[in-house]
Amino acid sequence: MSVETTTLLPAVARGDLVAFEQLYDRYSSTLYALLLRILSNPEDAQEVLQESFVKVWTNATSYDVERGSEAAFLISIARSRGIDRLRSRKIRSDRENDAGREISTVSSFVVTKTGADDAIQSEERKAVRGALTELPDAQRIALELAYFDGLSQSEIAAKLGEPLGTIKTRMQLGMKKLRERLRAYQ
Amino acid sequence: MTTTHEEFESIAALDAVGAATPEEERALRDHLATCADCRRARDEYGDAASLLARGIDPVSPPADVRERVMDAVVDDGNVVELSSRRGSHRWWLATAATLFLALWGWREVGIRVAREHVRNQEAELKTLADEKAILQQQKEKLAAEMQALGSSGTKTIALSGQNAAPTASARVFLVPEHRRAIVFFSNLPDNPKDKSYQLWIIRADQPKPQSAGVFDATHGSATITIENLPVETEIKALAVTREPRGGVEQPTNTDFVVMGKT
Repeated sequence: MSVETTTLLPAVARGDLVAFEQLYDRYSSTLYALLLRILSNPEDAQEVLQESFVKVWTNATSYDVERGSEAAFLISIARSRGIDRLRSRKIRSDRENDAGREISTVSSFVVTKTGADDAIQSEERKAVRGALTELPDAQRIALELAYFDGLSQSEIAAKLGEPLGTIKTRMQLGMKKLRERLRAYQ
Repeated sequence: MTTTHEEFESIAALDAVGAATPEEERALRDHLATCADCRRARDEYGDAASLLARGIDPVSPPADVRERVMDAVVDDGNVVELSSRRGSHRWWLATAATLFLALWGWREVGIRVAREHVRNQEAELKTLADEKAILQQQKEKLAAEMQALGSSGTKTIALSGQNAAPTASARVFLVPEHRRAIVFFSNLPDNPKDKSYQLWIIRADQPKPQSAGVFDATHGSATITIENLPVETEIKALAVTREPRGGVEQPTNTDFVVMGKT
């Protein structure tokens, strides 16, 4: 997390296609894995990945380096579009059927790995996983249901059979720990 | 009830994973417009939420997705600097397009040539059909003439050359049974282009000659068949004059080429 590489988005915002290609090469695998996690469908994931990068190209000027990392900017766009697709195709019921298995196996970051990672990204991912594994399961599961499945607080509470307040607290605590861990790395 | 900064930060934490309620989102948005500290907290939670995605093992998308993305971006039209790979890709596309157009053009030329060939063939077939029809008519005419010549009731009349063509002659075969006459001319001078030969019948019951046909001489010869002869009345004589091309209702001169009496 502390090994951020050169920021490319300012060049992309100027219409530099070379920088955009580098940006794609740097983040496409991460975003594709995220979209596969959200959509569980390669065709959907590829389509949304394409849409996401086109949106990055057109919205690069809105990126402010002071407001967050380049990775977070791209991930936010891809995640938002992935959740939109998930909802629009009304496949949530299928996802819910799978959710129990995912929760029980705690498998959110155990996805099939393909392609070559560079050393920097591998190191970063190792650090991220360390931060995530430090979260109590209950907090991480609640966060994953919101982040990957697009469930609301009440839907998560219903799914896990917990009071709404409890779910909200778990999620807030989990996010605070992730934020603190992120600060510690920077 | 007043919401504290700490509470807004908690909402920002939920909002970062998409779990804030619509009411919480609205309240947070309004607050962020005036609170730099909470905006910073919101940004940090945004980065923190991205860790959930960055912990997943990456999966390389198919190569064609990259191509589609780059095509879409180039088509967007805001590209300032193109990469060499994109350039070569476009060059390849341009070459492929040129080749395609060349092949297409070649195909179109081939089709056009084939169509022209078919049209020529059709025209030749029509010409042959016309010639066949003419030959058929000539065959029927010859058959009729042969029948007339061999018929027992056939009468023969000889026409001799007159001052206009002393060496010319003609022989008329009258077939009363079929009300037909066949006339064979020989040694006729070729008629000028603006003139035609015209055969006249002088009848006993008519004061004026009647046209029996208009013809041209070729190499001194000509043949004319007269149908529907008035056999019940006497034919006193036959004569040929040169008349304006296409013939006239009555002879314009008495400069006979050939003439003969029955």
